[in-house]
Amino acid sequence: MELLKIENLNKKYNNKIALSNISLSLDSGKIYGLLGPNGSGKTTLMKIIAGLHRQTFGDVFINGEALSYKTKAKVSYMPTENFLYDSFKVKDAVKFYTEMYEDFSEENAFNLLKEIGVDTEFRISKLSSGLVGKLKVALALSRNTDIYMLDEPLNGVDVLSRDVIIDLITRSYGENKTIIISTHLVNEIEKILDSVIFLKDGNLELSGNAEELRISHEKSIEGIYKEVYKNA
Amino acid sequence: MLKLIKYEFAKKYKLISITLIISVLLNLFLITRGEAGSGVFIVFFPMVMSIFYMVDIIKMYSDDLNKKSGYMLFMTPNSGYKIIVSKLITAVIEGLAIMLLYFIFILINGSYIIFTSGNYVNFKDIIYTINHLLSGSFGFNLFHVFMVLLTALLFLISFLTTAYTAMTIRKSIFSEIKFGGALSFLIFLLLNWGISYISSRFFDLLTPYYGSFSMMRPTAAEFTRILLPINAMSIIQSVILTLCSGYLLENKINL
Repeated sequence: MELLKIENLNKKYNNKIALSNISLSLDSGKIYGLLGPNGSGKTTLMKIIAGLHRQTFGDVFINGEALSYKTKAKVSYMPTENFLYDSFKVKDAVKFYTEMYEDFSEENAFNLLKEIGVDTEFRISKLSSGLVGKLKVALALSRNTDIYMLDEPLNGVDVLSRDVIIDLITRSYGENKTIIISTHLVNEIEKILDSVIFLKDGNLELSGNAEELRISHEKSIEGIYKEVYKNA
Repeated sequence: MLKLIKYEFAKKYKLISITLIISVLLNLFLITRGEAGSGVFIVFFPMVMSIFYMVDIIKMYSDDLNKKSGYMLFMTPNSGYKIIVSKLITAVIEGLAIMLLYFIFILINGSYIIFTSGNYVNFKDIIYTINHLLSGSFGFNLFHVFMVLLTALLFLISFLTTAYTAMTIRKSIFSEIKFGGALSFLIFLLLNWGISYISSRFFDLLTPYYGSFSMMRPTAAEFTRILLPINAMSIIQSVILTLCSGYLLENKINL
């Protein structure tokens, strides 16, 4: 079932083209890898879908509904930056999400945080980047929504924590949900991807079912990534 | 809306607590210097607090637009109108709280002065004395003071909506242009120029209206009517600019 539809999406920053004529259709029940090096347009695309940026022109529909503040209720977005209020304790951030998002499960969040070893009494400003990474993922995945978008969820996270985060993502997967993960650490995340989208300089370079691409290119997704971006 | 306002205060409860504690300690210190100390506090407290207040309220919005922590607010399924109105209500509550605090300080200092002079402390007496003093010496009473403060608050809100609108325009229509802070200030100046132009035309039309009042020693009712056009202008300006900001946040924002 088509959950997210992107039609002729363009985004310009001054004279720089960040996204150029992107058209995509994403189905529910799949994990998508949004791949590309820095500056390829991954974050811009996610921010537009999350309602933090406005496209220059083009359309995005979530379940047939054009982007507005209402569609923010259908998107759980985890930015790559530490966006959480520094002065908050972890439990305050959980409370904030509980009060702001109807689909947020406080119980689920506390269970996840306990499981991944994030102390809820800690102040966010005192957390290591790895713990902040885990906290952000736990908050995003504790919502029960249609689209999850995780922007570089493995950035700044140690190897062991990466496995924990990948495990969290796969457990959140469901047939009515779409998970979009942007990353340049393709090798780490390849095994959980159903489909991949390669962006290059704001253009859609390649997209399709991960397994079919592996067969047609006779390479792993990481191998295809290297091939696509070898001159980038 | 209430949740948004609650979290605005939650974000700055430390700042509010520290300001409150410092104000009380400073007042206690100055009170020990006698009536002159109390006088200094009563005169300078509103001046200093007005500056702190404006900086805080502008920073409250600027941080959400320009820092990554703003994502936390703008990712929530709240409309741009709701967000901007919640900011303004927060600003108004904060402004009223400061006014209330100031009145409390006046009462406390007044009580202390009466107490040290050996008189019985009665809050009704204090109000009566202050009112009597004001009406006797300057020809106006507490209602005049209240109207002046209300007008000041409305003016402040209109000032803040202008500043908020300037920041919103810069972060939406001109989001890709560098030197954001300077650009916001330039937009702010242009908005103020436009508003001043419209206001001056508006008040030109009201010359006959003002001619019907005694400007020297107006009664409370006259004073209210004198300030009515100014307050109406502030309210209209605030509403229009808030709607503009809400629309831009809703449709054009680039964080």
